[in-house]
Amino acid sequence: MIPRPIVQIEGLHKSFSRGSEKIDVLIDLTLDVPEGEFLALMGPSGSGKTTLLNLIAGLDSPTSGTLIVGDQEISRMSETQLARWRTRHVGFVFQFYHLLPVLTAYENVELPLLLLPLSAAERKRQVLTALDLVGLSNRLSHRPGQLSGGQQQRVGIARAIVTDPTLIVADEPTGDLDSKSAEEILDLLVELKKGLNKTILMVTHDPRAAARAERVLHLEKGRLVRETSLYDLHPGGLNGDAVTSSPRRMEDVVREQP
Amino acid sequence: MEFITLAFRFATYSLALLFAALLLILGLQMVGVLKKVPFSYNIRNLFVRWRITLMTALAFTLVVALMTVMLAFVNGMYKLTASSGVPGNVIVLADGATDELFSNLGFGDIKQLEFHPEIVKQDGKPLISWELYVVVNQPILVRKCPKCGELVRVNRFGEKLLEHGEPSCPGSDLPITGTRGRRFIQVRGLEDPVISAAVHNLDLYEGGEWFSPACVAPLPGGRSGQFAVQAVIGEGLARELGPDQGKKSLEVGDVFDLGPNRWIVTGILRSAGSTFDSEVWTKFQMAGELFGKNTYTTCVMRTEGPEQAAALAKDLKENFKSPAVNATPEPEYYASLNSTNEQFLGAILIVVAIMAIGGVFGIMNTMFAAIAQRTKDIGVLRILGFAPWQILVSFFLEAVLLAFLGGLLGCALGLLANGWTASSIIASGPGGGKSVVLKLVVDGPILLSGMVFSLVMGCLGGLLPALSAMRLKPLDAVR
Amino acid sequence: MSNLDAWILWYLDSPWRVIGAAVALLVFLLLVVYRDDWFFYARLMLKSLRRNLVRTALTSIATFVLVLVVTMVWTVLYVLDRVTAEKSQDLKAIVTERWQIPSQMPFSYAQPLSEGAAKETNDVRPSDSMTWTFVGGTLDPAKRTRENIVFFFAMDPAKLMRAERDERGNLIRTKTGKIVFNTMMDDLDQLSDSEIDLLDQACREMEKDRRKVVIGKERLAQMNKKVGERFTLHCINYPFIELEMEIIGEFPDGRYNQSALMHRDYILDAMDAWKRKNGRPHPMAEKCLNLVWLRVPDREAFRRVAEQIEESPDFKSPAVKCETASSGIAAFLDAYRDLLWGMRYLLVPAILVTMSLVIANAISISVRERRTEMAVLKVLGYRPGQVLILVLGEALLLGVAAGLASAAASILFINTYLGGIKFPIAFFPAFFIPLDALWWGPALGALTAFVGSILPAWSARQVKVAEVFSKIS
Repeated sequence: MIPRPIVQIEGLHKSFSRGSEKIDVLIDLTLDVPEGEFLALMGPSGSGKTTLLNLIAGLDSPTSGTLIVGDQEISRMSETQLARWRTRHVGFVFQFYHLLPVLTAYENVELPLLLLPLSAAERKRQVLTALDLVGLSNRLSHRPGQLSGGQQQRVGIARAIVTDPTLIVADEPTGDLDSKSAEEILDLLVELKKGLNKTILMVTHDPRAAARAERVLHLEKGRLVRETSLYDLHPGGLNGDAVTSSPRRMEDVVREQP
Repeated sequence: MEFITLAFRFATYSLALLFAALLLILGLQMVGVLKKVPFSYNIRNLFVRWRITLMTALAFTLVVALMTVMLAFVNGMYKLTASSGVPGNVIVLADGATDELFSNLGFGDIKQLEFHPEIVKQDGKPLISWELYVVVNQPILVRKCPKCGELVRVNRFGEKLLEHGEPSCPGSDLPITGTRGRRFIQVRGLEDPVISAAVHNLDLYEGGEWFSPACVAPLPGGRSGQFAVQAVIGEGLARELGPDQGKKSLEVGDVFDLGPNRWIVTGILRSAGSTFDSEVWTKFQMAGELFGKNTYTTCVMRTEGPEQAAALAKDLKENFKSPAVNATPEPEYYASLNSTNEQFLGAILIVVAIMAIGGVFGIMNTMFAAIAQRTKDIGVLRILGFAPWQILVSFFLEAVLLAFLGGLLGCALGLLANGWTASSIIASGPGGGKSVVLKLVVDGPILLSGMVFSLVMGCLGGLLPALSAMRLKPLDAVR
Repeated sequence: MSNLDAWILWYLDSPWRVIGAAVALLVFLLLVVYRDDWFFYARLMLKSLRRNLVRTALTSIATFVLVLVVTMVWTVLYVLDRVTAEKSQDLKAIVTERWQIPSQMPFSYAQPLSEGAAKETNDVRPSDSMTWTFVGGTLDPAKRTRENIVFFFAMDPAKLMRAERDERGNLIRTKTGKIVFNTMMDDLDQLSDSEIDLLDQACREMEKDRRKVVIGKERLAQMNKKVGERFTLHCINYPFIELEMEIIGEFPDGRYNQSALMHRDYILDAMDAWKRKNGRPHPMAEKCLNLVWLRVPDREAFRRVAEQIEESPDFKSPAVKCETASSGIAAFLDAYRDLLWGMRYLLVPAILVTMSLVIANAISISVRERRTEMAVLKVLGYRPGQVLILVLGEALLLGVAAGLASAAASILFINTYLGGIKFPIAFFPAFFIPLDALWWGPALGALTAFVGSILPAWSARQVKVAEVFSKIS
């Protein structure tokens, strides 16, 4: 079964101008990401991987080319439309977690839900589910300052999945963590992928992190130079079933757990 | 007055002390005895955060400019009363009266005063001025122009549409429809204007002359048999009445309304800077008859000098009994009119003090933010070997510099108010008083107090943040 | 019930009140409908404010004190505006000497003026009237001080306060329990029942014994006298006259704190006695009527009465004028016009700008510190407008709270503790902060917070997510 692509990129071009100088960050990039894939983007600094991620997440708009996520052409949306779209379709995980220091873990996760037409009870259920999934049910009322780096990143992931987005985008999610916490976070991402069948895009330059993905794209100077698939990395199929069925709702998965 | 000089002196001394300390530190730093955080570090930082620097400085500017203008107003009042009295003069009012308005010297034997030996003589005549002071409540009449609907000032005889720009608007046959405010015009009736002018050290501008003994003249442009009352007016009043006649200022030969009559100007008093500036001077008998008050209210006597004046005042108070009088050396009398000034000054000081709190908190905010942004810098400086107090001086100086800039701008802005004229009332207590036109005076002491004030605000606002910067632990700061 | 009707009618009288109520209702409804969102926003704003307590405190205190100054200045202007505003119903007319200040008329004018100089049957008569004679004196002629000089208003006590009483002396009340009384004075109709009772009794006492006087509470304290004590007043503006007086009551706190009141016949009789003794009239005999107040129902009646008085041949020497109380006071205040102009158009705007600057300062610092947070919110899907509202709301919350606190504190502190603002203008002893200040404060706070935070909020709205994160990583 060939899953339909959730991200379709064609002839994508992005350039910045610094003074009179024009810098091409992404050049004529074409890429499909099938639904339910765990994809890693690798490359040296300045290769354009973060820019690509930002474009897919709708945080920036391309200079030219088409960019379709789900069934929407996001390269032509206004900032406000993009904001609405992001709430429903993209969950973002940052390298430095970026939790609001004044809010508790619970409130941080609740933030994106407030933009959706949900009742307070529904919101509460979803927040608790998300925090349960990342294993932080016992840290609800802690402030970010009272949590370890790994725990903060778990809150960040819970915040990313709480709206049940189609796409989870992670920019160096392990970049600021020690190796043990990093492993835990990667385990969590793989688990989410397996359990919920979410599409995950991760930028990293840690080969160990990339090794957990199903497919790794290498960028250099704004072009795709190489692609490694899961079967090249793990001929034995370490992660088990790579591609299963359509994405599942977060709550259903939780309900199945014993 | 004592209070303000005391407060001022205190502020100046404390500031001088503070400055001496700062200069000492800076001097020692320059000689190289003390290491210092380079001052350019602070100045660059102010420039880097130029928007916040500007906002903070502007808040200071406004507060200081306001204070300057308000103090200039009171200063103008003090200057006015101080320049109104002649040191050798004694002013005599009825016993119990502290204000000319409520004084009534009666007839009795009051004329005996003329023979007092202390009075200086000029051409064989004693320099003693017999005066009747009344305040006339003069409505400013208006009517509605049927063409443009504007309320227009008119004279009582409806002769002109005054201060009205539309030449096509019809003129004289409109009914007077009402009044727009009033003027309180002070009229002084004099027995002998030449003597009185000599007593008050006043004279007329070129081309003017004193009113005649009969004090009437034919009304210019009137029918035969129509007369106008002759008067000499202060230059301030001439300027105020001028616009009624479509002029900048009244001149000799111009006619104006006062009470039930028409008056003609025979001369303009060189009276700027004194309370006589807003007065109409005319013949005593004329004023008495027109305003129904036919006794003297005031008598002013000229002596050799301040000491003789004090002696004469004391003598009259104790020994003159027909009737009993209240005699005061003139400067002292005018100083007693400062009671309103003192109350205004009190109110201004309260307002300024409260505004200062706002300014201080504004600068504290800015400095706390500056320190929060530069925590790492502070850590690095400390690790490089700067002592806590050097950090303190550095940030403190930055706050003071900010205040200094704001204060300087504020003083410059306040300076613009110098020379503005404003009307007010000076009085020795409730009820009485003279309407005066005064000039706002922004002078050295006022600018100095503006600077002192802003620097004090800067010091108060800068101290706390600088202390907190000093107490940062170097290793915590760089982390 | 009728009370409610009247209140509703009064309320609907002004379009501003209606619009205000509609806006308040709308805001309330929005708050209810979107309560979850607002709660959340409010919580986030409060938490942001709580994060930097020092900054929040400094900004609030600055706003607090600046609102305090504006409230004080506006109080003075408000009171002056209110007394000089022309009424169309139930006007008070003031008759004074036409040309001179101070106004001094012969007492023979009192009777015809009180009737509005009405002669013909179809002439308009005022519905009520009151005469004023000012008597200034000192308790110690040898050493006059501010404390021992008292100015008395000599008048007919029945015009000051007259409550209806039955034969047994009990107050007569209407069906709704209100005391039936009549007064010519302003602000006395706001007295409590017991104060009306006391004042009425005092006025009746004064009618029986003319030596009795009522003095304002504060004035009494300055004179160092108590109710029940006696003293001799050595008149200043009525030479040779000494009056024995007994204090039988005090004015309640408020506008009449500095006032003193005596029976007008007492001073008239004293001058008659002087004439009998000296064989000639007292020097002030023809000058002892300072003003006459007339009450007229409407502007037309006022116009007629003024015409009757000013055209009557009976009042020619000295001539008199008749004007509405508000225009009389306005004319008097004209001497202070530059001062009031400065307060209104220099002082207040400058303070408001200063306030805006202080708030702008604080909010831009906080926005600058939180650029990353704003970007995170945007990544999570917050729209630019919502980010703007968050920043703006934070400032507004602070401004409104500080403004309200300032207004409430100034009313409590200045009105009750300081006894009003003692600003030496005209004849007003003190200015009391009106309850309206309770909305001035928050409105001023909101206005300056809005002006001060709109630019920083806009810059927060414009935060470019990609730029913020590219700087960090």
